[in-house]
Amino acid sequence: MKQIKVGLAGQPNCGKSTIFNLVSGIEQHIANYPGVTVDKKVGFFKYEDYKVEMVDLPGTYSFSSFSQEEKVAKKFIIDESNPNSKEKSIDIIVNVIDSSNLKRNLYLTFQLLEIGIPVIVVLNMIDIAKNRGLEIDSKKISKMLSCPVVETSGSKSIGGKELMQTITNTFEKKTKYEEFKINYEELEVHIQKIEKLLENSKSHLSKRWLAIKLLEEDPTILEHVGSNIKKEEIDKEIESFHTLHDKDTISFLATFRYDSADVIYHECVKNNNINKETLTDKIDKIVLNRIFAIPILLFIIFLVYEISIVYGYKLTDYTWPILASMKNFIIDILPMADFTKVPMITDFFIWMTNSSIALLNYIPIFFILFALIAIMEDVGYMPRMAFILDKIFKKFGLHGQSTLPLVLGGAMVGGCAVPGVMSTKGISDERARMATILTVPYMNCLAKVPFYTLLLGAFFKPEMALMMFFISTITIFIALLIAKLLTTTVLKTRQTAPFVMELPPYHVPTIKGVFIRSFQKVWIYIKKVVTIVLAVAVILFAMLEFPGLSEDSILKYEKQSEIYLAKFDKQIKNNKYYQLVDTKNEVSDLLNYYDRYRAKRMAATSKEDAKQLDKKFKLINADYYTFLKPRKNKEAKKINRAIRKLSRDRKKVLREMKNEKIENSILGMTGRSLEPITQYAGFDWKINVAFLSSFAARESAVATLGSIYENNKADSKRAEEAMAENSGYTPLHAAAIIIFMILTPPCIATMIVVKMQTNSYKWMVFAIFFPVFLGIAMSSLTFTVGNIFSLSGVEAMAAFYFAIVFITLILAFYPSKSINWKGGLNKV
Amino acid sequence: MNKKMIMLDTLSKGQKAKIKKIRTDGKLLRRLLDMGFVMNSEIEVIREAPLFDPMELKIQNYYISIRKSEASLIEVKI
Repeated sequence: MKQIKVGLAGQPNCGKSTIFNLVSGIEQHIANYPGVTVDKKVGFFKYEDYKVEMVDLPGTYSFSSFSQEEKVAKKFIIDESNPNSKEKSIDIIVNVIDSSNLKRNLYLTFQLLEIGIPVIVVLNMIDIAKNRGLEIDSKKISKMLSCPVVETSGSKSIGGKELMQTITNTFEKKTKYEEFKINYEELEVHIQKIEKLLENSKSHLSKRWLAIKLLEEDPTILEHVGSNIKKEEIDKEIESFHTLHDKDTISFLATFRYDSADVIYHECVKNNNINKETLTDKIDKIVLNRIFAIPILLFIIFLVYEISIVYGYKLTDYTWPILASMKNFIIDILPMADFTKVPMITDFFIWMTNSSIALLNYIPIFFILFALIAIMEDVGYMPRMAFILDKIFKKFGLHGQSTLPLVLGGAMVGGCAVPGVMSTKGISDERARMATILTVPYMNCLAKVPFYTLLLGAFFKPEMALMMFFISTITIFIALLIAKLLTTTVLKTRQTAPFVMELPPYHVPTIKGVFIRSFQKVWIYIKKVVTIVLAVAVILFAMLEFPGLSEDSILKYEKQSEIYLAKFDKQIKNNKYYQLVDTKNEVSDLLNYYDRYRAKRMAATSKEDAKQLDKKFKLINADYYTFLKPRKNKEAKKINRAIRKLSRDRKKVLREMKNEKIENSILGMTGRSLEPITQYAGFDWKINVAFLSSFAARESAVATLGSIYENNKADSKRAEEAMAENSGYTPLHAAAIIIFMILTPPCIATMIVVKMQTNSYKWMVFAIFFPVFLGIAMSSLTFTVGNIFSLSGVEAMAAFYFAIVFITLILAFYPSKSINWKGGLNKV
Repeated sequence: MNKKMIMLDTLSKGQKAKIKKIRTDGKLLRRLLDMGFVMNSEIEVIREAPLFDPMELKIQNYYISIRKSEASLIEVKI
């Protein structure tokens, strides 16, 4: 079987991915190679007698400038066209072109043709071009460029077969390929001079192409040719061209290519629709209208929230039972507790199961969120969002493209920093991208909401709505503030990029494309995040489990257990079923049976489920079932009563043991050792432990607090009430705690994606410790000031809120230097 | 003949112009060239953003937005 390696190149928004999906079909195998900021995607599939390897290169406008995407694409072409390398060299470049934007797309085509590898031009979105009244003569283009041209429509699945045919045909005739040449007229002399200088070069690439790239001052190529040529020699040619013609080589080449593209455009395209308003024009008149633009933007953001967070959350009602049954299944096969001695392995697996399903629970939300992003990207709304808001963001060192990440992170109540940080990928401005990555975690994530609800319910019952308003609107101010802070300090020297952004025509997205992309992103989330989160869960478990209870305490609890067991024994001594439960083992067994039934009965929602459950438990142990449902059996009723009492007593012992274990655990001790610092914010060790454990997943904060403050009396008090009564906190304490939670702590999943996106552990560590430091400082300040002026919780929160808003507004007027490229009017 | 330089950012909605010179170099120059801001190419101002800053232009038959700070480096003739 013959192997063909195809490189898929094209400008952004040309529909490259739809072509990739179109030809590679379902039975493709995709490998992702994450790069610094851009991924290289490779698909393997079979076509007739060929094994095709298709490399989807990042979208690039050109092969001459220095963006990350262009570097990756160029490096790929240089490295993988090398016949001496171990990798199979690239056979064909497929250049996808947006037919309705022919002129600019041909600009890249000229550069690809010069490389010297056979090129196939794909006129994609041909249907859209036709609808716009463009008549394109593809045969003529093919003749003028002397390369095959195929018409396709990726979204309508047209032209895939023809393209594959052309690829195999071209592959067979590869050896006959003749190098494409543009006559650069006055520059030719200089090109040939450089070519001569390159005679001794061992590079496998076309000498002419190298010469042209060198005249363009391309650093990658200069590095590639190495010692074969001196930079001064190139500079000399560039200089002499400048003196002779008063033109810069760079501008000259670009202009020449555009002029050539213009020639082809005029020869091969007939525009029947000049100056007729397109649908895109009509939509933009409304969407980008000075008055309507912002309300529409807000509405779309609201819609994204409503659909992903609200409806996605409802969807988890359906997926949750699946996760819950998985959990139940695992718990069922674990060793049972022997009265109060719970085997560590049981504890461990329950802990791990809880940690993982807490994260898996979000998958429906993520999937919808990713799908909506993909749709907005495909439609073409994303760059318009940036267009509308850039002015505000620019003031804070961010970029118009920061809008979406911040929105996803939770600009209103409840987002998630993971997709937020992941969506920073497209931001072209390096400094703004870093600032966005580092500020998204300050947004209100979905998992923080239960924590707020708990505290608001406990301490701010009457002012709940006002407090929630403070919490949900302050995040965006904090994010802007921190972005400004970072971009004027640690990120000061980072490169910024000019805001030069295409506003592509609106497109209807394809279902397949949207589905594939959101599925891939969810899969990355599952693979990367869940594995590492679970590793952290193991560490946390160990930190909570060890060193464990002291010998004395174990004895104390054992004694207590004995008392309860003896009580139980006495109660049922004369019972006719006594011999069924006269050993400790039997009692434990019955107790586990009873507790398990209660738990499952509680989870069963319908009568049908309950019946099924009864049947199942009757089958497991008919005798015990009699105690469960004694009906008119007096003796059994007595046992039922006794076992109920015993179950309550056992739970009490277990809870006390757990609390003591947490308090004495490594994590508990860490929480205690942090008290000297956190006391200024009014935090005691319990809050510290809750925050420490929330590092694994923010949900843990509520769970930990809940278990610490759980009432020891077995009544039905809610966690809020228990906390309000037992903690000894005042609303001012609560305000300080809330402020800390707003600023921090970042969860481990977010930190992983920060690492992924910045490609640096240094920034990950910064992203962990900076918010913690800031959070402690801010809540200490609020708490101390609140104490001095004896403010109430709400007053302290309001003071904090208005201080932040005020500082943010002031900073907006502090100019931010965004131009760090040279030039301007000084250099004329 | 108008001898004063006209910069792109001073044009208003609907105005058309031709590029005369780009008064910058390095990364921004290359980016602009790649996007079609080459000598003599025709530009039409489509609109300003709702908050007045980036502006939308039509060049080489497609739409692009650039900040006014960048547009102020592009010299045009009307």
